[in-house]
Amino acid sequence: MMPVSPFKLSGVLWVLAWRNLWRNYRRTLIMLTAIAVGVWAMIFLTAMMRGMVDDMVRGSTSTLLGHVQLHHPQYRDDPNIVNSMPPPSTSLQQALNSESVVAWTTRVRVPAVISSERETTGITLVGIDPESERPLSFIAHKITEGRYLESPNDRGVILGKRLVDKLETRLGKRVVLMSQDPDNNVVDRGFRVVGIYRSDPSMIEEQFAFVGRTTAQGFLHMGEQISEVEVLGSDYRQAKSLAVPLRQTANNETVPIEVLSWTEIDRYLGSMLPMMDGFVLVWIIVVFTALSFGLVNTLAMAVFERVREIGLMQALGMKPQAIMLQVLFESIFLLVIGLVIGNLSAWLTILPLQSGIDISVVAQGLEMGGMSSMLYPSLQIEDMILATVVVLLLGMGASLLPAWRAARLDPIKALTKH
Amino acid sequence: MKHRAVLYGLMLLASSFAASAATPVSETAEDKPATSVNAHDIVAKAIDHWRGLSSYSEMTMTINRPDWQRSVSMMGWTQGSEQTLIRITAPKKDVGNGTLLKGNAMWSFAPKINRVVKIPSSMMGQSWMGSDFSNNDVARSDDIVDQYSHRLLSQEQHEAHNIYVIEAIPYEDSAVVWGREVLRVRDDYVLLQHQFFDQDDLLVKQLNTLSIKTMDGRPVAAQQRMQKQDATEEWTEIIIHNADFDIDVSPRQFTLSNLRNPRP
Repeated sequence: MMPVSPFKLSGVLWVLAWRNLWRNYRRTLIMLTAIAVGVWAMIFLTAMMRGMVDDMVRGSTSTLLGHVQLHHPQYRDDPNIVNSMPPPSTSLQQALNSESVVAWTTRVRVPAVISSERETTGITLVGIDPESERPLSFIAHKITEGRYLESPNDRGVILGKRLVDKLETRLGKRVVLMSQDPDNNVVDRGFRVVGIYRSDPSMIEEQFAFVGRTTAQGFLHMGEQISEVEVLGSDYRQAKSLAVPLRQTANNETVPIEVLSWTEIDRYLGSMLPMMDGFVLVWIIVVFTALSFGLVNTLAMAVFERVREIGLMQALGMKPQAIMLQVLFESIFLLVIGLVIGNLSAWLTILPLQSGIDISVVAQGLEMGGMSSMLYPSLQIEDMILATVVVLLLGMGASLLPAWRAARLDPIKALTKH
Repeated sequence: MKHRAVLYGLMLLASSFAASAATPVSETAEDKPATSVNAHDIVAKAIDHWRGLSSYSEMTMTINRPDWQRSVSMMGWTQGSEQTLIRITAPKKDVGNGTLLKGNAMWSFAPKINRVVKIPSSMMGQSWMGSDFSNNDVARSDDIVDQYSHRLLSQEQHEAHNIYVIEAIPYEDSAVVWGREVLRVRDDYVLLQHQFFDQDDLLVKQLNTLSIKTMDGRPVAAQQRMQKQDATEEWTEIIIHNADFDIDVSPRQFTLSNLRNPRP
């Protein structure tokens, strides 16, 4: 008997597997549907969750967080006016103007008290440089009434809509801001409300009042000092590497300056990214586990139906490994077709949703987590690859059991089985 | 914090005796034709004359609300406009509480916790214990002079006195929330009425002098009531029982150690 070349044998096995697959096409189609829906669910839900995290991170980084911040080392523990830093020196400015930095700005940010005729409340006073602030944070794009600040010397203040309502004031009226100067004296001054902003989430509206940076420095008697430098890179995931050269430069400064990426400043938010990666993997495995029962069952049935046939093939000289491969190939066909359909359908469902899903019905609840009322699914190629690889590998693993049982059949018993 | 209203009362007292001290000035003012009366000067002179004077006084403040009323008695010393010390004498549970005011800085002492606390800026904007006095009027007595532009609206005759009605409008950068304030000052510089209008020109609250008495030879606004316009049942009243002016007050009186450990 001529030995059959392994290549040719495997070709025959592929054909056999393919044909066997369609002998009971109903069962195969049901299994394919199950795999496709499973894969679709993995990818679609992952994209949704990624979208949520993306939204939270983007929202937070545009809410005066940025990608990297520079402060006085004690500022984060106590955002007091005493813990301010000098404006960036020439060497630091050079580092800030490097190519990896998209934009940067300086700010004054201190706790303050705001009063109108009827109400007094605590806020965070933010002195901004209107032009350099524009690309960094939400404020320039969210003015709904009045105007944005015109220069660092602007004498007006921009308040959030909710704060304006709380204070029972409105555009064009004057409010009084009160804070402390570096010598612990009370300083206060009247400001006219020149602009009103809305923000998403609207909690922010009660927290921040924006004035010109130079105006704030004068009002607070802090000279040229600033509270922080905020830096924006091209991708929030790269913030840590963006911080490295800045930290090196800052270490050579005469005054101590702390350089931190947003993941270190907002650790809760920073921990969301690795947590999300873990969550995606767990989710994929959970869905797969449910799927694998169907897969193993389908293959076990296929083997069970063909016991006599397998016995015959064995009797004719087919090796147990070939039998095993045949079952495995059948499983690979199922998995690959299911994966292709699943991936495609996930992509096709997400495509029309790229412009955002309005979830404002539950907006109030989401706001607690710092999310906005529009959800933008974020389809990442890495997640599709991860789902595909996990399903393929674990699917093959699960198929080993029925394949092994098929290979182990005794040809005599198999042939006589009824 | 809660001595704020007390301080306000003391300041009112101060302004009323400032007025009395200013009697010679008012006489010269009367010599001039009424048209040349400078509104800014009337306010400034009242404040200027109160400055540099010292005083000792005893008073009671009553806060009235629809379902409760509370009275606090206290004594106070002032030296100029910069230094003020107040001690509570009744009710019993508040006895010994004190407040020291030096310039814009303020300290509070509570015997129960045996601590002197500097009042932080974040608390300077609040009213006290639900009383109707806002702090913006209090520690910064000079503000009414140099944070506003003044205009004489009219003059009235009342019981042989000339009354100046002065409108004060805060400057653009002033740390004042009001749209304008209207003061009625008698020609002997007793403040009769102080009205606070919001920026829509609605009357929010007003301070009225209910009775004027002569103490230590001077006319003093002995009973004053601050009332919010939209709540008639809510007011705070200050009654001055007696007052001595131009007394010798030791500089030691206005120290943190004296705030904590009162010496006779």
